Amino acid sequence: MLKGVLEGCVLEIVSREETYGYEITRRLNALGFTDVVDGTVYTILIRLEKNKLVETAKKPSDMGPPRKFFALNDAGREELRKFWEKWEFVSSKMNELKEENQ
Amino acid sequence: MNLWERMTGSDMTRQMRDFESRAQKLPTDYQAAWETIKANLWPHSDFTGRNLMPILDGVLSLLEETAADGQSVQEVLGGDIKGFCSALVGAEGAKSYRDKWREQLNQNIARKLGK
Amino acid sequence: MSIRDLIEGKKKWRAHMARVKALPRDYQLVYKEIQKYLFKVGPVELTEGTGLLDGIVELFEEGAAMGKGVLEVTGSDVAAFCDDLIKDSRTYADVYQESVNREVANAMNKVAKKTK
Repeated sequence: MLKGVLEGCVLEIVSREETYGYEITRRLNALGFTDVVDGTVYTILIRLEKNKLVETAKKPSDMGPPRKFFALNDAGREELRKFWEKWEFVSSKMNELKEENQ
Repeated sequence: MNLWERMTGSDMTRQMRDFESRAQKLPTDYQAAWETIKANLWPHSDFTGRNLMPILDGVLSLLEETAADGQSVQEVLGGDIKGFCSALVGAEGAKSYRDKWREQLNQNIARKLGK
Repeated sequence: MSIRDLIEGKKKWRAHMARVKALPRDYQLVYKEIQKYLFKVGPVELTEGTGLLDGIVELFEEGAAMGKGVLEVTGSDVAAFCDDLIKDSRTYADVYQESVNREVANAMNKVAKKTK
């Protein structure tokens, strides 16, 4: 799947509630994006963190080492808003193109 | 690093000494490879030796880790040390060499995981 | 300023490698191949202490704790995972080439001035 779209998905999931990498992958897989692996989500989360779009917190886990939780900050919410804007634009244009043909 | 060190390059001398003492702890075939790598990189270093230091450090770390793992130096560097060195400094042909590293990485993993 | 000193200091480096050794065998193998690859490619981030390597170990620890296979975590194209990870980072080869170009440009300028 397109990288930018996947980043939008991760932003959207994180915006709903504070969550961690493996859980995000699980959500995406359940949604039908079965080829998305944890490593891919990890690289996206790292990038979101570097670009200061998320706040992070370490929390103990009942399974293995402490987990890093992610939540959107204001810049992240703005980024998500821009993503949906772009998405609306692209999908409306795609539909236009498709209807032209019918 | 102070100005004097920067002017005389004595900070680099110190770093090279550091590298050499690390290299001396390597197995002999690894030491020989280290010498060859330096000989290949040095022509690049006339005025830009300082920027070569982190690259040399990366190679040395690679040699240290792989030697500790008991791998053969041949397996780590491949036959073409000259090409390997050009790739390290990003010289011409570096891109195709990096593709080779990429392939090597995936192949090693497939082989070692026995899949 | 070696990678080991800069990343975390020698003690921290040893702690890092101890964590690696505590991983299941398959995870260890993949981690070590990744580390070798990164030493060769030389992303500047490796010495910036951002915990690039520690981050991978953390990801692996969690995956192992959940009983996942290592390739389930990274995907089967481990090189793609690595490149993704350092996509935004310059490499020492980049830095080196920039300095070479700068020096060459300086030298050319000098020659140009002389011939004027």
